[in-house]
Amino acid sequence: MSSLSALQGLLQSYVVSSPDIQGAAVVTPDGLPLASVLPNAMDEEKTAAMSAAMLSLGERIGKELARGNIDRVFVQGDAGYGVLTSCGDDAMLLTLASKDAKQGMLFLQIKQMSEKVSAAMGSSSSFAAV
Amino acid sequence: MTTELRPELGDFSSIICLKAIITGIEEALGDKTTQIALVAAGRARGRNLAASIGLDNSSLSLEDITSKVAFALGKEGTRLLILDKIEPKGEGYKVYTRETVCSSGEELGSSRVCGFTLGAVQGVLETVSGKRLRGRQTESVLRGSHQDVFEFDPVG
Repeated sequence: MSSLSALQGLLQSYVVSSPDIQGAAVVTPDGLPLASVLPNAMDEEKTAAMSAAMLSLGERIGKELARGNIDRVFVQGDAGYGVLTSCGDDAMLLTLASKDAKQGMLFLQIKQMSEKVSAAMGSSSSFAAV
Repeated sequence: MTTELRPELGDFSSIICLKAIITGIEEALGDKTTQIALVAAGRARGRNLAASIGLDNSSLSLEDITSKVAFALGKEGTRLLILDKIEPKGEGYKVYTRETVCSSGEELGSSRVCGFTLGAVQGVLETVSGKRLRGRQTESVLRGSHQDVFEFDPVG
């Protein structure tokens, strides 16, 4: 199984693990999609670039406005949540969740998934250049 | 030069204004966020360009592809850059350029890297190869090289 297939499998399991998780993507820090399970209407390329830009902007806000290191960028809309977290130096995780998701549970699931993605990225030489 | 978009001023605008747009966005959003956006914009431009000059699903040689892209983006085209050569490198590509719009007007020793230019070439190569690529600038005219050189490798 290729590294990208393994990552895609991880995401599939993640999204089906909870009815509140509606989609997820793993993208590189420069905005390239590595794997995704997104609603049909969403463009993977745009989502990846947007996610990377958003986390980067969050990190800048953290620095310029003296908020320290950023754990996550969290968007709350009336239809649900979008959460971005870093998975080490090589990737970031976007999670889309419904408005019914309990935030504590959601953040725990995201943390566990981030660790899995970091481990998968770290164990594969295919991502060495990413 | 065609003047389809503006009847009096023509289709071209000064690099000075373009650089002011880029540096202005960098000041507001930061270098990294701006770079992500410029690469994404470049990739979209490259994909559109490749489709418009018939490079999608083409079986042209790398030399022919280079020639077509060099024409479209060079002196006779939109003047984004001078494309000297595209050569295969492993499963990816190495691309040699000069007079890129990103490096122009920069002081020698500047740490600026090409964003839109790199993305545009990447978009073309992704369309031609059908692979998702990751690009990086390995040489710069701002840091002692004669060319701006980009390398692209398949992701994953």
